[in-house]
Amino acid sequence: MSATKKLTIARAMAESISLEMRVDPKVFVMGEDIAKLGGVFGNTRGLLAEFGDQRVRDTPISETAFMGAGVGAAMDGMRPVVELMFVDFFGVCFDAIYNMMAKNIYFSGGNMHVPMVIMASTGAGYSDGGQHSQCLYGTFAHLPGMKVVVPSNAYDAKGLMTAAIRDNSPVIYLFHKGLQGMGWLGNEPAAINQVPEESYELEIGKAKTVVEGSDISIVSLGVGVHHALKAAKELEKQNISVEVIDLRSLVPLDREHIIASVKKTGRLIVVDEDYHSFGVSGEIIASVIERDHNMFKTPPSRITFPDIPIPFTRPMEQWALPSTEKIINECLAMMEGK
Amino acid sequence: MTQPIIVPMDLWEEDVEAVISAWLVDNDSGVTAGQLVAEVMVEKIQYEIHSTADGIISIISEADDVVNKGSIIAEVS
Repeated sequence: MSATKKLTIARAMAESISLEMRVDPKVFVMGEDIAKLGGVFGNTRGLLAEFGDQRVRDTPISETAFMGAGVGAAMDGMRPVVELMFVDFFGVCFDAIYNMMAKNIYFSGGNMHVPMVIMASTGAGYSDGGQHSQCLYGTFAHLPGMKVVVPSNAYDAKGLMTAAIRDNSPVIYLFHKGLQGMGWLGNEPAAINQVPEESYELEIGKAKTVVEGSDISIVSLGVGVHHALKAAKELEKQNISVEVIDLRSLVPLDREHIIASVKKTGRLIVVDEDYHSFGVSGEIIASVIERDHNMFKTPPSRITFPDIPIPFTRPMEQWALPSTEKIINECLAMMEGK
Repeated sequence: MTQPIIVPMDLWEEDVEAVISAWLVDNDSGVTAGQLVAEVMVEKIQYEIHSTADGIISIISEADDVVNKGSIIAEVS
């Protein structure tokens, strides 16, 4: 058994990147403020000092340019880890992402791999307005050719980053700001957990049952997992047994894991901070129903962000966000068989 | 003997408060001198707090608590 230590997701990400950079000279990091500052979310701290400015590169504020550069470098044999500071900024660089990074392996007849990792922050909750608060999980997961992972704790964050860097496919690595251990962005102690000091991979595409239960399956990702865990604890006092599943990966999506859980409980709630319509929550519900609609005791439901731009003002933002309270209320309604 | 863990007076320059953003050890767990135990944040910049002794840590200020330079945030005994 190797030594472990408690880390924030931010530190776990930096540690994983550092360990890969030590063994693979092809790995390098670039993005806005990732070198000298160590990333505005702390996830590249220490890398510049260890590896120097050739392998840890601050870029100009032009996502269009450095995403394109990342794709080119990856096709030329490197393994770039590129930070898109806020996932909301994807607009100016999406051609490089979904037309080049995601598709070039297909367009080249399988000859040109694009082993690139894009890490991007997601999430609301600290009043940063509608262009700095989105999740956009469904937007990336919808488009073929990219794996998409979303860690909810430091252990998963490190293992998923190692797997993402070693993967020959492009991987979108979305980390929720409220789980980074960065104070002003929110504080979730349960995201800070014991992490082995050595390098390890977590297989991309495997969901995890975090808490077992028999009455309701709650499927979530990122910060939603923590809301669900708190709800499960409260509902236990009222003799409602909730199972919480952390997706960890959207592409590939571990449908079998979700279906097995709903088969057991007969009830499904999806908690997703991304927009309500045309997204992750709908996909999950459809995936279960098209397997067998008879397994449901009650109609499935979802707790998501309403289809509106994310408000800046705190009361409006908090009203719109998924929360532990909303999950508890939905579970109670479901058990009453509404 | 009990040894306090104090927010160093020179950890940041300005005369402003900080917030404990994360504890990286559990309360009542074993720590060693020099070990990174907590992070504090001042105006979006994060600083590290290290243990001052070997022993068992007793956390005084929790995550999200406001602290100042010179604040005793934990004790090691």
